[in-house]
Amino acid sequence: MENEEGLQADGESDPKAPIPVSEVDAWENIRDDDIMQQQSAIRAEEAEKVPFIGDKEPLSVLAAEYESGSPILLKKIKVLGEKYGSIRRTRGDGNCFFRGFMFSYLEHILESQDQAEVDRVTTNVEKCRETLQALGYADFTFEDFFALFLEQLESVVQGKETSISHDELVIRSRDQSISDYIVMFFRFVTSGEIKRRSEFFEPFILGMTNATATVEQFCKSSVEPMGEESDHVHIIALSDALGVPIRVVYLDRSTYDIDHVIVNHHDFIPSAGDLPSAGGGSSETTKPIVTLLYRPGHYDILYLK
Amino acid sequence: MVDLGRVQKELQECNKNMDVSGINVKPKGDSLTHLIGTIPGPMGTPYEGGIFQIDIVLPDGYPFEPPRMQFATKVWHPNISSQSGAICLDILKDQWSPALTLKTALLSVQALLSAPQPDDPQDAVVAQQYLKDYQTYVGTARYWTENFASSRGLEEKVQKLVEMGFPEASVRSTLAAFGGDENLALEKLCCG
Repeated sequence: MENEEGLQADGESDPKAPIPVSEVDAWENIRDDDIMQQQSAIRAEEAEKVPFIGDKEPLSVLAAEYESGSPILLKKIKVLGEKYGSIRRTRGDGNCFFRGFMFSYLEHILESQDQAEVDRVTTNVEKCRETLQALGYADFTFEDFFALFLEQLESVVQGKETSISHDELVIRSRDQSISDYIVMFFRFVTSGEIKRRSEFFEPFILGMTNATATVEQFCKSSVEPMGEESDHVHIIALSDALGVPIRVVYLDRSTYDIDHVIVNHHDFIPSAGDLPSAGGGSSETTKPIVTLLYRPGHYDILYLK
Repeated sequence: MVDLGRVQKELQECNKNMDVSGINVKPKGDSLTHLIGTIPGPMGTPYEGGIFQIDIVLPDGYPFEPPRMQFATKVWHPNISSQSGAICLDILKDQWSPALTLKTALLSVQALLSAPQPDDPQDAVVAQQYLKDYQTYVGTARYWTENFASSRGLEEKVQKLVEMGFPEASVRSTLAAFGGDENLALEKLCCG
Protein backbone atom coordinates (compact mmCIF):
# COMPACT_ATOMS: atom_id res chain seq x y z
CA MET A 1 0.00 0.00 0.00
CA GLU A 2 1.04 3.56 -0.57
CA ASN A 3 2.21 5.54 2.34
CA GLU A 4 -0.22 8.34 2.90
CA GLU A 5 1.31 9.47 6.14
CA GLY A 6 0.77 13.15 6.65
CA LEU A 7 -2.21 13.20 4.32
CA GLN A 8 -4.66 12.38 7.03
CA ALA A 9 -5.46 15.08 9.48
CA ASP A 10 -3.42 14.66 12.64
CA GLY A 11 -5.19 12.97 15.50
CA GLU A 12 -7.39 10.84 13.29
CA SER A 13 -7.92 7.43 14.82
CA ASP A 14 -6.57 4.28 13.24
CA PRO A 15 -9.37 2.78 11.12
CA LYS A 16 -8.15 -0.78 11.77
CA ALA A 17 -9.94 -2.18 14.79
CA PRO A 18 -7.92 -4.51 17.05
CA ILE A 19 -8.27 -8.16 16.06
CA PRO A 20 -9.99 -10.38 18.61
CA VAL A 21 -7.79 -13.18 19.97
CA SER A 22 -10.04 -15.93 18.60
CA GLU A 23 -9.39 -14.69 15.06
CA VAL A 24 -5.65 -14.71 15.64
CA ASP A 25 -5.91 -18.39 16.56
CA ALA A 26 -7.62 -19.06 13.24
CA TRP A 27 -4.89 -17.26 11.32
CA GLU A 28 -3.24 -20.40 10.02
CA ASN A 29 -6.52 -21.52 8.49
CA ILE A 30 -6.71 -18.51 6.23
CA ARG A 31 -6.07 -19.49 2.63
CA ASP A 32 -4.39 -17.48 -0.12
CA ASP A 33 -7.74 -17.10 -1.84
CA ASP A 34 -9.13 -15.49 1.29
CA ILE A 35 -6.21 -13.11 1.52
CA MET A 36 -6.58 -12.09 -2.10
CA GLN A 37 -10.30 -11.64 -1.66
CA GLN A 38 -9.64 -9.45 1.33
CA GLN A 39 -7.12 -7.43 -0.64
CA SER A 40 -9.55 -6.79 -3.45
CA ALA A 41 -12.20 -5.80 -0.89
CA ILE A 42 -9.78 -3.24 0.56
CA ARG A 43 -9.07 -1.96 -2.93
CA ALA A 44 -12.79 -1.63 -3.65
CA GLU A 45 -13.23 0.31 -0.44
CA GLU A 46 -10.37 2.60 -1.40
CA ALA A 47 -11.91 3.04 -4.86
CA GLU A 48 -15.02 4.55 -3.37
CA LYS A 49 -12.94 7.20 -1.68
CA VAL A 50 -10.71 8.35 -4.55
CA PRO A 51 -11.27 7.59 -8.25
CA PHE A 52 -8.22 6.56 -10.33
CA ILE A 53 -8.11 10.19 -11.47
CA GLY A 54 -9.86 12.92 -9.44
CA ASP A 55 -11.31 16.26 -10.42
CA LYS A 56 -9.12 19.31 -10.89
CA GLU A 57 -9.03 21.16 -7.56
CA PRO A 58 -7.52 24.51 -6.54
CA LEU A 59 -4.19 24.23 -4.72
CA SER A 60 -5.87 25.66 -1.62
CA VAL A 61 -7.32 22.19 -0.88
CA LEU A 62 -3.77 21.07 -0.21
CA ALA A 63 -3.27 23.78 2.40
CA ALA A 64 -6.56 22.77 4.03
CA GLU A 65 -5.32 19.19 4.29
CA TYR A 66 -2.32 20.23 6.35
CA GLU A 67 -4.05 22.96 8.31
CA SER A 68 -3.11 21.50 11.67
CA GLY A 69 0.00 19.79 10.34
CA SER A 70 3.63 20.58 9.78
CA PRO A 71 4.46 24.31 9.49
CA ILE A 72 7.22 23.46 6.99
CA LEU A 73 4.68 21.83 4.69
CA LEU A 74 2.31 24.79 4.99
CA LYS A 75 5.11 27.14 4.04
CA LYS A 76 6.08 24.96 1.13
CA ILE A 77 2.50 24.84 -0.12
CA LYS A 78 2.49 28.63 -0.09
CA VAL A 79 5.67 28.69 -2.19
CA LEU A 80 4.15 26.08 -4.48
CA GLY A 81 1.12 28.33 -4.95
CA GLU A 82 3.26 31.06 -6.51
CA LYS A 83 3.79 28.92 -9.57
CA TYR A 84 1.12 26.22 -9.54
CA GLY A 85 -2.62 26.77 -9.49
CA SER A 86 -4.29 23.40 -9.19
CA ILE A 87 -3.92 19.73 -8.42
CA ARG A 88 -5.62 16.57 -9.65
CA ARG A 89 -5.44 13.65 -7.27
CA THR A 90 -4.77 10.06 -8.23
CA ARG A 91 -5.68 6.93 -6.31
CA GLY A 92 -2.99 5.65 -3.96
CA ASP A 93 -2.91 2.06 -5.16
CA GLY A 94 0.72 1.78 -6.19
CA ASN A 95 -0.07 2.70 -9.78
CA CYS A 96 -0.46 6.43 -9.15
CA PHE A 97 2.65 7.51 -11.06
CA PHE A 98 1.52 5.68 -14.18
CA ARG A 99 -2.13 6.77 -13.92
CA GLY A 100 -1.06 10.38 -13.31
CA PHE A 101 1.34 10.26 -16.24
CA MET A 102 -1.32 8.74 -18.50
CA PHE A 103 -3.92 11.39 -17.78
CA SER A 104 -1.53 14.32 -17.79
CA TYR A 105 0.07 13.29 -21.08
CA LEU A 106 -3.19 12.58 -22.92
CA GLU A 107 -4.66 15.80 -21.57
CA HIS A 108 -1.63 17.66 -22.93
CA ILE A 109 -2.17 16.19 -26.40
CA LEU A 110 -5.90 16.92 -26.23
CA GLU A 111 -5.27 20.56 -25.39
CA SER A 112 -2.24 21.21 -27.61
CA GLN A 113 -3.35 19.10 -30.60
CA ASP A 114 0.36 18.66 -31.27
CA GLN A 115 0.36 16.17 -34.16
CA ALA A 116 4.17 16.18 -34.34
CA GLU A 117 4.30 15.00 -30.71
CA VAL A 118 1.76 12.27 -31.42
CA ASP A 119 3.82 11.05 -34.39
CA ARG A 120 7.01 11.17 -32.35
CA VAL A 121 5.58 9.18 -29.46
CA THR A 122 3.96 6.68 -31.83
CA THR A 123 7.42 6.07 -33.36
CA ASN A 124 8.87 5.56 -29.87
CA VAL A 125 6.07 3.15 -28.95
CA GLU A 126 6.99 1.08 -32.00
CA LYS A 127 10.61 1.07 -30.81
CA CYS A 128 9.43 -0.18 -27.41
CA ARG A 129 7.53 -2.95 -29.15
CA GLU A 130 10.71 -4.00 -30.95
CA THR A 131 12.63 -3.86 -27.67
CA LEU A 132 10.19 -6.26 -26.02
CA GLN A 133 10.30 -8.62 -28.99
CA ALA A 134 14.10 -8.56 -28.94
CA LEU A 135 14.00 -9.35 -25.21
CA GLY A 136 11.93 -12.43 -25.96
CA TYR A 137 8.46 -11.35 -24.80
CA ALA A 138 5.70 -13.19 -26.68
CA ASP A 139 3.62 -10.71 -28.70
CA PHE A 140 0.34 -11.77 -27.16
CA THR A 141 1.52 -10.82 -23.69
CA PHE A 142 1.81 -7.12 -24.56
CA GLU A 143 0.02 -6.39 -27.86
CA ASP A 144 -3.42 -5.68 -26.32
CA PHE A 145 -1.91 -3.14 -23.91
CA PHE A 146 0.00 -1.40 -26.71
CA ALA A 147 -3.09 -1.31 -28.94
CA LEU A 148 -5.22 0.26 -26.21
CA PHE A 149 -2.67 3.00 -25.52
CA LEU A 150 -2.34 3.87 -29.21
CA GLU A 151 -6.15 3.94 -29.45
CA GLN A 152 -6.37 6.46 -26.57
CA LEU A 153 -3.58 8.54 -28.12
CA GLU A 154 -5.44 8.65 -31.44
CA SER A 155 -8.74 9.50 -29.81
CA VAL A 156 -7.52 12.69 -28.12
CA VAL A 157 -6.56 14.11 -31.53
CA GLN A 158 -9.64 16.04 -32.62
CA GLY A 159 -11.49 16.10 -35.91
CA LYS A 160 -12.10 12.38 -36.34
CA GLU A 161 -15.09 10.16 -35.82
CA THR A 162 -13.36 8.50 -32.90
CA SER A 163 -12.24 11.77 -31.26
CA ILE A 164 -13.16 12.27 -27.61
CA SER A 165 -13.82 15.32 -25.46
CA HIS A 166 -12.02 16.26 -22.26
CA ASP A 167 -14.97 14.96 -20.24
CA GLU A 168 -14.75 11.65 -22.04
CA LEU A 169 -11.01 11.47 -21.31
CA VAL A 170 -11.80 11.86 -17.60
CA ILE A 171 -14.46 9.13 -17.81
CA ARG A 172 -12.10 6.75 -19.61
CA SER A 173 -9.31 7.44 -17.12
CA ARG A 174 -11.66 6.32 -14.37
CA ASP A 175 -12.66 3.15 -16.20
CA GLN A 176 -10.70 0.23 -14.80
CA SER A 177 -10.80 -1.72 -18.06
CA ILE A 178 -8.98 1.17 -19.76
CA SER A 179 -6.85 2.58 -16.94
CA ASP A 180 -5.38 -0.78 -15.85
CA TYR A 181 -4.49 -1.67 -19.43
CA ILE A 182 -2.67 1.64 -19.92
CA VAL A 183 -0.84 1.21 -16.60
CA MET A 184 0.27 -2.22 -17.77
CA PHE A 185 1.36 -0.73 -21.11
CA PHE A 186 3.61 1.70 -19.22
CA ARG A 187 4.93 -1.11 -17.03
CA PHE A 188 5.92 -3.07 -20.16
CA VAL A 189 7.60 0.01 -21.67
CA THR A 190 9.44 0.75 -18.40
CA SER A 191 10.59 -2.84 -17.93
CA GLY A 192 11.72 -3.11 -21.56
CA GLU A 193 13.75 0.09 -21.30
CA ILE A 194 15.42 -0.97 -18.03
CA LYS A 195 16.37 -4.36 -19.47
CA ARG A 196 17.52 -2.89 -22.80
CA ARG A 197 19.92 -0.54 -20.96
CA SER A 198 20.60 -2.82 -18.01
CA GLU A 199 24.22 -1.62 -17.65
CA PHE A 200 23.02 1.96 -17.21
CA PHE A 201 20.27 1.06 -14.72
CA GLU A 202 22.15 -1.59 -12.71
CA PRO A 203 23.91 0.84 -10.30
CA PHE A 204 20.57 2.57 -9.50
CA ILE A 205 18.90 -0.74 -8.80
CA LEU A 206 21.77 -1.98 -6.63
CA GLY A 207 21.53 1.25 -4.68
CA MET A 208 17.85 0.96 -3.85
CA THR A 209 17.24 -2.71 -3.18
CA ASN A 210 19.25 -5.44 -1.53
CA ALA A 211 22.52 -5.91 -3.32
CA THR A 212 21.64 -9.33 -4.68
CA ALA A 213 18.75 -8.19 -6.88
CA THR A 214 19.60 -8.34 -10.55
CA VAL A 215 18.06 -6.05 -13.17
CA GLU A 216 15.99 -8.99 -14.34
CA GLN A 217 14.67 -9.69 -10.81
CA PHE A 218 13.98 -6.01 -10.21
CA CYS A 219 11.81 -5.81 -13.34
CA LYS A 220 10.03 -9.02 -12.43
CA SER A 221 9.26 -8.01 -8.86
CA SER A 222 9.10 -4.20 -8.84
CA VAL A 223 8.10 -3.08 -12.33
CA GLU A 224 5.88 -5.64 -14.03
CA PRO A 225 3.41 -6.55 -11.25
CA MET A 226 0.47 -4.14 -10.91
CA GLY A 227 0.47 -2.06 -7.73
CA GLU A 228 4.27 -1.93 -7.35
CA GLU A 229 5.22 1.66 -6.59
CA SER A 230 7.37 3.73 -8.91
CA ASP A 231 10.72 5.20 -8.00
CA HIS A 232 13.35 7.26 -9.82
CA VAL A 233 14.36 4.26 -11.89
CA HIS A 234 10.84 3.80 -13.26
CA ILE A 235 10.49 7.49 -14.09
CA ILE A 236 13.84 7.72 -15.86
CA ALA A 237 13.07 4.61 -17.89
CA LEU A 238 9.56 5.67 -18.93
CA SER A 239 10.65 9.22 -19.74
CA ASP A 240 13.56 7.95 -21.85
CA ALA A 241 11.62 5.22 -23.62
CA LEU A 242 8.76 7.48 -24.71
CA GLY A 243 10.91 10.60 -24.97
CA VAL A 244 8.61 12.59 -22.70
CA PRO A 245 10.13 15.10 -20.26
CA ILE A 246 8.63 14.83 -16.76
CA ARG A 247 8.88 17.24 -13.84
CA VAL A 248 8.47 15.94 -10.31
CA VAL A 249 7.91 18.55 -7.58
CA TYR A 250 8.71 17.33 -4.09
CA LEU A 251 6.56 18.22 -1.13
CA ASP A 252 8.16 16.80 2.01
CA ARG A 253 9.35 18.01 5.37
CA SER A 254 13.00 18.41 4.43
CA THR A 255 14.37 21.92 4.78
CA TYR A 256 17.60 23.77 5.41
CA ASP A 257 16.10 27.00 6.62
CA ILE A 258 12.65 27.21 8.17
CA ASP A 259 12.39 30.92 7.30
CA HIS A 260 13.23 30.49 3.62
CA VAL A 261 11.77 27.18 2.54
CA ILE A 262 12.23 26.15 -1.07
CA VAL A 263 10.27 23.54 -2.97
CA ASN A 264 12.61 21.19 -4.81
CA HIS A 265 11.87 19.71 -8.16
CA HIS A 266 13.62 17.38 -10.54
CA ASP A 267 13.24 17.35 -14.30
CA PHE A 268 13.54 13.99 -15.99
CA ILE A 269 14.76 14.95 -19.46
CA PRO A 270 15.05 12.12 -21.97
CA SER A 271 18.43 11.57 -23.60
CA ALA A 272 18.96 14.03 -26.49
CA GLY A 273 18.02 11.94 -29.52
CA ASP A 274 14.48 11.35 -28.34
CA LEU A 275 13.47 14.88 -27.41
CA PRO A 276 10.37 16.49 -28.85
CA SER A 277 11.44 18.34 -32.01
CA ALA A 278 8.75 20.99 -32.00
CA GLY A 279 10.13 24.49 -31.38
CA GLY A 280 13.69 23.61 -32.32
CA GLY A 281 15.30 25.75 -29.61
CA SER A 282 17.07 23.86 -26.85
CA SER A 283 15.33 25.64 -23.97
CA GLU A 284 11.97 25.01 -25.62
CA THR A 285 12.59 21.28 -26.00
CA THR A 286 13.30 20.62 -22.34
CA LYS A 287 9.99 22.00 -21.08
CA PRO A 288 8.29 19.26 -19.11
CA ILE A 289 5.07 17.93 -20.63
CA VAL A 290 3.95 16.16 -17.47
CA THR A 291 4.26 17.71 -14.00
CA LEU A 292 3.62 15.59 -10.93
CA LEU A 293 3.55 16.46 -7.25
CA TYR A 294 5.37 13.92 -5.11
CA ARG A 295 4.58 13.42 -1.47
CA PRO A 296 6.38 10.48 0.17
CA GLY A 297 4.84 7.39 -1.43
CA HIS A 298 2.42 9.17 -3.74
CA TYR A 299 2.16 11.15 -6.99
CA ASP A 300 -0.62 13.58 -7.99
CA ILE A 301 -0.92 15.78 -11.09
CA LEU A 302 0.09 19.42 -10.74
CA TYR A 303 -1.01 22.33 -12.98
CA LEU A 304 0.80 25.63 -13.65
CA LYS A 305 -1.15 28.80 -12.92
CA MET B 1 -14.30 -10.73 -17.48
CA VAL B 2 -11.58 -13.19 -18.39
CA ASP B 3 -9.82 -12.12 -21.59
CA LEU B 4 -10.70 -15.26 -23.56
CA GLY B 5 -8.94 -14.11 -26.72
CA ARG B 6 -5.71 -14.03 -24.80
CA VAL B 7 -6.34 -17.43 -23.19
CA GLN B 8 -6.82 -18.95 -26.64
CA LYS B 9 -3.55 -17.45 -27.87
CA GLU B 10 -1.81 -18.72 -24.74
CA LEU B 11 -3.05 -22.25 -25.26
CA GLN B 12 -1.86 -22.26 -28.88
CA GLU B 13 1.52 -20.79 -27.97
CA CYS B 14 2.04 -23.14 -25.06
CA ASN B 15 1.15 -26.31 -26.90
CA LYS B 16 3.23 -25.34 -29.95
CA ASN B 17 6.48 -26.07 -28.12
CA MET B 18 5.20 -29.00 -26.14
CA ASP B 19 7.79 -31.45 -27.45
CA VAL B 20 10.61 -29.32 -26.08
CA SER B 21 9.27 -28.44 -22.63
CA GLY B 22 6.83 -31.28 -22.03
CA ILE B 23 4.51 -28.65 -20.56
CA ASN B 24 1.00 -28.33 -21.92
CA VAL B 25 -2.32 -26.78 -21.00
CA LYS B 26 -5.75 -28.05 -22.04
CA PRO B 27 -9.31 -26.98 -21.26
CA LYS B 28 -10.81 -29.24 -18.60
CA GLY B 29 -14.26 -29.15 -20.16
CA ASP B 30 -16.06 -26.77 -22.48
CA SER B 31 -14.98 -23.67 -20.62
CA LEU B 32 -11.74 -21.80 -21.22
CA THR B 33 -11.62 -20.70 -17.60
CA HIS B 34 -11.00 -24.15 -16.11
CA LEU B 35 -7.85 -25.77 -17.44
CA ILE B 36 -5.51 -28.65 -16.75
CA GLY B 37 -1.77 -28.08 -17.04
CA THR B 38 0.78 -30.89 -17.25
CA ILE B 39 4.43 -30.68 -16.24
CA PRO B 40 7.05 -33.41 -16.26
CA GLY B 41 9.07 -33.81 -13.06
CA PRO B 42 12.53 -32.28 -13.50
CA MET B 43 15.49 -34.59 -14.17
CA GLY B 44 17.81 -35.32 -11.27
CA THR B 45 15.10 -34.72 -8.65
CA PRO B 46 12.85 -37.14 -6.73
CA TYR B 47 10.10 -36.02 -9.14
CA GLU B 48 11.89 -37.32 -12.23
CA GLY B 49 9.74 -39.65 -14.30
CA GLY B 50 6.51 -38.24 -12.91
CA ILE B 51 3.87 -36.43 -14.92
CA PHE B 52 2.14 -33.87 -12.69
CA GLN B 53 -1.28 -32.44 -13.41
CA ILE B 54 -2.15 -28.96 -12.23
CA ASP B 55 -5.69 -27.73 -11.91
CA ILE B 56 -5.96 -24.16 -13.23
CA VAL B 57 -8.90 -21.82 -12.67
CA LEU B 58 -8.80 -18.40 -14.31
CA PRO B 59 -10.43 -15.69 -12.16
CA ASP B 60 -12.59 -12.97 -13.77
CA GLY B 61 -9.74 -10.50 -13.59
CA TYR B 62 -7.26 -12.64 -15.57
CA PRO B 63 -4.68 -11.60 -16.80
CA PHE B 64 -4.64 -8.86 -14.15
CA GLU B 65 -5.26 -11.42 -11.43
CA PRO B 66 -3.10 -14.55 -11.18
CA PRO B 67 -4.38 -17.93 -12.36
CA ARG B 68 -5.39 -20.15 -9.42
CA MET B 69 -3.20 -23.21 -9.65
CA GLN B 70 -3.04 -26.30 -7.50
CA PHE B 71 -1.64 -29.77 -7.95
CA ALA B 72 -4.25 -32.33 -8.94
CA THR B 73 -1.58 -35.02 -8.66
CA LYS B 74 -0.45 -35.81 -5.13
CA VAL B 75 3.09 -34.62 -4.53
CA TRP B 76 5.51 -34.59 -1.57
CA HIS B 77 7.21 -31.18 -1.57
CA PRO B 78 7.83 -28.50 1.12
CA ASN B 79 6.05 -25.77 -0.86
CA ILE B 80 3.07 -27.82 -2.00
CA SER B 81 0.37 -29.06 0.34
CA SER B 82 0.41 -32.86 0.49
CA GLN B 83 -3.29 -32.65 1.36
CA SER B 84 -4.80 -30.07 -1.00
CA GLY B 85 -2.13 -29.54 -3.64
CA ALA B 86 -2.02 -25.79 -2.84
CA ILE B 87 1.18 -24.17 -4.12
CA CYS B 88 3.25 -21.56 -2.28
CA LEU B 89 4.81 -19.46 -5.03
CA ASP B 90 5.15 -15.67 -5.14
CA ILE B 91 4.23 -15.25 -8.80
CA LEU B 92 0.90 -16.96 -8.15
CA LYS B 93 0.19 -14.28 -5.52
CA ASP B 94 1.35 -10.68 -5.21
CA GLN B 95 4.23 -11.04 -7.65
CA TRP B 96 1.94 -12.00 -10.53
CA SER B 97 2.03 -9.74 -13.56
CA PRO B 98 0.05 -9.74 -16.82
CA ALA B 99 3.49 -9.98 -18.43
CA LEU B 100 3.55 -13.60 -17.24
CA THR B 101 1.62 -16.39 -18.92
CA LEU B 102 0.19 -19.80 -17.98
CA LYS B 103 3.28 -21.32 -19.55
CA THR B 104 5.77 -19.16 -17.63
CA ALA B 105 3.79 -19.83 -14.45
CA LEU B 106 3.96 -23.60 -15.05
CA LEU B 107 7.68 -23.30 -15.80
CA SER B 108 8.06 -21.58 -12.43
CA VAL B 109 6.12 -24.39 -10.74
CA GLN B 110 8.42 -26.88 -12.45
CA ALA B 111 11.43 -24.87 -11.22
CA LEU B 112 9.96 -25.00 -7.72
CA LEU B 113 10.03 -28.82 -7.92
CA SER B 114 13.78 -28.57 -8.61
CA ALA B 115 14.47 -26.01 -5.91
CA PRO B 116 12.32 -26.41 -2.77
CA GLN B 117 12.22 -23.45 -0.36
CA PRO B 118 11.78 -25.19 3.03
CA ASP B 119 12.11 -21.86 4.89
CA ASP B 120 8.86 -20.62 3.33
CA PRO B 121 6.82 -23.81 3.49
CA GLN B 122 3.29 -24.61 2.41
CA ASP B 123 3.43 -28.05 4.03
CA ALA B 124 5.15 -27.83 7.42
CA VAL B 125 5.48 -31.60 7.83
CA VAL B 126 7.30 -32.03 4.53
CA ALA B 127 9.46 -28.96 5.22
CA GLN B 128 10.50 -30.33 8.65
CA GLN B 129 11.41 -33.64 7.09
CA TYR B 130 13.34 -31.89 4.30
CA LEU B 131 15.40 -29.95 6.85
CA LYS B 132 15.89 -32.66 9.48
CA ASP B 133 15.94 -35.90 7.55
CA TYR B 134 16.73 -35.13 3.93
CA GLN B 135 17.18 -38.79 2.88
CA THR B 136 13.71 -39.74 4.13
CA TYR B 137 12.30 -36.72 2.30
CA VAL B 138 13.92 -37.86 -0.97
CA GLY B 139 12.63 -41.40 -0.46
CA THR B 140 9.09 -40.28 0.30
CA ALA B 141 9.00 -37.81 -2.59
CA ARG B 142 10.25 -40.51 -4.96
CA TYR B 143 7.72 -43.01 -3.65
CA TRP B 144 4.87 -40.52 -4.14
CA THR B 145 6.12 -39.74 -7.64
CA GLU B 146 6.16 -43.43 -8.61
CA ASN B 147 2.87 -44.13 -6.93
CA PHE B 148 0.80 -41.09 -7.94
CA ALA B 149 2.53 -39.36 -10.85
CA SER B 150 3.84 -42.07 -13.15
CA SER B 151 1.74 -43.56 -15.88
CA ARG B 152 3.14 -47.03 -15.12
CA GLY B 153 1.99 -46.71 -11.53
CA LEU B 154 -1.43 -45.53 -12.70
CA GLU B 155 -1.95 -48.44 -15.10
CA GLU B 156 -1.07 -50.91 -12.35
CA LYS B 157 -3.65 -49.31 -10.05
CA VAL B 158 -6.31 -49.26 -12.78
CA GLN B 159 -5.69 -52.91 -13.49
CA LYS B 160 -5.87 -53.84 -9.81
CA LEU B 161 -9.16 -52.01 -9.25
CA VAL B 162 -10.70 -53.34 -12.48
CA GLU B 163 -9.77 -56.86 -11.34
CA MET B 164 -11.76 -56.17 -8.17
CA GLY B 165 -14.76 -55.78 -10.43
CA PHE B 166 -15.18 -52.02 -10.87
CA PRO B 167 -15.86 -50.65 -14.38
CA GLU B 168 -12.68 -49.20 -15.95
CA ALA B 169 -14.21 -45.80 -16.80
CA SER B 170 -15.24 -45.09 -13.23
CA VAL B 171 -11.94 -46.47 -11.89
CA ARG B 172 -10.04 -43.96 -14.07
CA SER B 173 -12.24 -40.98 -13.19
CA THR B 174 -12.20 -41.81 -9.47
CA LEU B 175 -8.41 -42.22 -9.43
CA ALA B 176 -8.06 -38.88 -11.22
CA ALA B 177 -10.39 -37.23 -8.71
CA PHE B 178 -8.18 -38.40 -5.83
CA GLY B 179 -4.87 -37.47 -7.43
CA GLY B 180 -3.98 -41.11 -8.06
CA ASP B 181 -4.49 -42.17 -4.44
CA GLU B 182 -5.51 -45.82 -4.73
CA ASN B 183 -6.88 -46.24 -1.21
CA LEU B 184 -9.12 -43.17 -1.32
CA ALA B 185 -10.34 -44.17 -4.79
CA LEU B 186 -11.18 -47.68 -3.56
CA GLU B 187 -13.07 -46.26 -0.60
CA LYS B 188 -15.07 -44.00 -2.90
CA LEU B 189 -15.77 -46.82 -5.39
CA CYS B 190 -17.01 -49.05 -2.56
CA CYS B 191 -19.28 -46.37 -1.14
CA GLY B 192 -20.65 -44.99 -4.34
